[in-house]
Amino acid sequence: MSQTSHTPTAGGDYPRPSGAVQGPQRRLRLAAYPSLLAMPALLLLIAAMGYPLLTVTLRSFSDPAWGLQNYVWFFSTPVNVTVLWRTFSIAAWVTIVCVIAAYPYAYLMTAVGPRLRLVLILCVLVPFWVSGVVRTLAWVILLQDSGIINSVIRLLGFDGVKLIRTQTGVVIGMAQVLLPFMILPLYSVMRGIDLRLVQAARSLGARPARAFLQIYLPLSLPGVFAGAIIVFILSLGFYITPALLGGPRSTMLSTLVQSQVLSLLNWGRGGAMGVVLLVATFVLLALAAPLMRQRHKQAARS
Amino acid sequence: MGSRSRLAGFFGAAALALLAAAAHAQNAPPAGTVVDGSLKGKTLTFVSYGGIYQDGQVAALKEFVDKSGVKLLNDGPTEIAKLQAQVESGNVTWDVVDTDDFPPFVHCGKLFQKLDLTKLDISHIPPGQVGECSVPAMNYGMVLMYKNDTYKDNPPKDWKDFFDTAKFPGTRAIDGSGSPLGGLIEQAILADGGKVDAMTPADIDKGIAKIKAIGPDTIFWKTGAESQQLAESGEADMIIMWTGRAMTAVKNGAAYTPVWKDWLVVMDQLTIPVGAKDPDASYALINAYLGKKSQEILTEQTSYSPINNEAQPKVDASVAAFLTNTPDHAKLGYQQNIKFWVANFAAASDKWTALMAGN
Repeated sequence: MSQTSHTPTAGGDYPRPSGAVQGPQRRLRLAAYPSLLAMPALLLLIAAMGYPLLTVTLRSFSDPAWGLQNYVWFFSTPVNVTVLWRTFSIAAWVTIVCVIAAYPYAYLMTAVGPRLRLVLILCVLVPFWVSGVVRTLAWVILLQDSGIINSVIRLLGFDGVKLIRTQTGVVIGMAQVLLPFMILPLYSVMRGIDLRLVQAARSLGARPARAFLQIYLPLSLPGVFAGAIIVFILSLGFYITPALLGGPRSTMLSTLVQSQVLSLLNWGRGGAMGVVLLVATFVLLALAAPLMRQRHKQAARS
Repeated sequence: MGSRSRLAGFFGAAALALLAAAAHAQNAPPAGTVVDGSLKGKTLTFVSYGGIYQDGQVAALKEFVDKSGVKLLNDGPTEIAKLQAQVESGNVTWDVVDTDDFPPFVHCGKLFQKLDLTKLDISHIPPGQVGECSVPAMNYGMVLMYKNDTYKDNPPKDWKDFFDTAKFPGTRAIDGSGSPLGGLIEQAILADGGKVDAMTPADIDKGIAKIKAIGPDTIFWKTGAESQQLAESGEADMIIMWTGRAMTAVKNGAAYTPVWKDWLVVMDQLTIPVGAKDPDASYALINAYLGKKSQEILTEQTSYSPINNEAQPKVDASVAAFLTNTPDHAKLGYQQNIKFWVANFAAASDKWTALMAGN
């Protein structure tokens, strides 16, 4: 705040429309320092994210004694490494399932009339308003061996499928919980795509598939990437869904963190696990970033 | 002490208070005594696991609250990490904390106060259940429930059969909700032909390996509700269940039968945190909780067994069938070696966690 009061000249130097009073001048000053607009969010992030994160990181090096012992422990314990790898692989599967399920859905949302679109949006949002735990328990009822899906399969004369307490079950449940995070960014990008471009391609002789692959798909990719990143990162921290829908072989890292911190009071080890997950995520995103920029450029060119 | 509590029934609370005052020099007031208005203007925070259990505990403490004039706040669920944060920051807001079995032994003197047993009447607590830092909060058991349809005329009779997947094929479900199940690991060691009277850390591996050998389809349930759901939908052929959940499942129509031989004894523990604001008030609450009448109310409301051996709760047959303190159940219980599991808590937890994570 003090910054604004120290720089009266900056605002004063601007050409001012005659008869302008305080109001517009104030607005001009804010316009000169747009970063100020982000201050509330920034302060909140520093207090609610930055400080705890710093504490967790510090404790991972200092609890119970200064040094790298928690990281040595992490990488020398096979179960941690297996579960870390599994966490990323489940997150990747969830992301893939979400893209496949959300893409046609978001497209449909752009193609239908306003009333049907409202229905489609509600179909996405209503489950979003229900607590994740409730939705996960609903999936237990659907997926279990004596559940609805298996009953139908058996009625049709096939053998039952093992869904609950498998990785497949976890991926299904997580994808359903996270689907809105994929559909909404996709929809907002697809809504902005000028469909006349596709018509133009068609009129120039492109077959529908080609028009889609060369025109529509590249233009929609920014939405795919935005959704994929959100879904992937949210997946990494899932706790309840894998705990209820998964078995031992679908335990994710959050469960191990929980057991270290809450039952063993090993804050250092828990912190180290969190830091490893965070760093691994950053590395992965850094690797994926150039690829995405490439696509963006392609999209821009076409 | 026994005769004194029986007197209580005849002379009522006033006489009790007098007696308590007379006995105060050497002994704690009999369990269940509350001095009128003794805690007026004070506030106590009671922490437990919520749900029907904590509701029952609050009902059991109602007389204490009404008479002493204390204001009782409820918090939960119990989280040892939260308690640690309170103790370390020197700002302890919890006065009496209900925990599961191991923490008061693992963190005795560090997070939980060593109890001054002259302030509590422990004479009616079942033998062997009072720890240095805790008294039991209730008794219950983990009992093996088998599915009637699967085993018909040849049901499993003990833990050996539970681990014998050749003779008793079928899916097993195990309590994977938290701390390692010391009792189950001990039974696994026994089923493996080992001995448990002089266990070493190497035996933990043997026990865990035996549990793992049941097979990859083993279910580790995470919440009591989940275990109940498994039984009611018939998803598993043998389920290790808490007696309270087992009772509810059977009431709801689950066709399962309990095996009482060597059922695993479990308690919850009542503790006072290090740095609690008013320890004497905390002691008064616990002493009231241990009383006969409070324990009867607790059992009637929760179906968990009382920890006052004079309590005679009025419950119907379906509840009584799963009480652990009836004579024919009590003698079949198996008490884990708490001392060993506390001494090896970190190692056992790491190995148990690895088992849960499929390694």
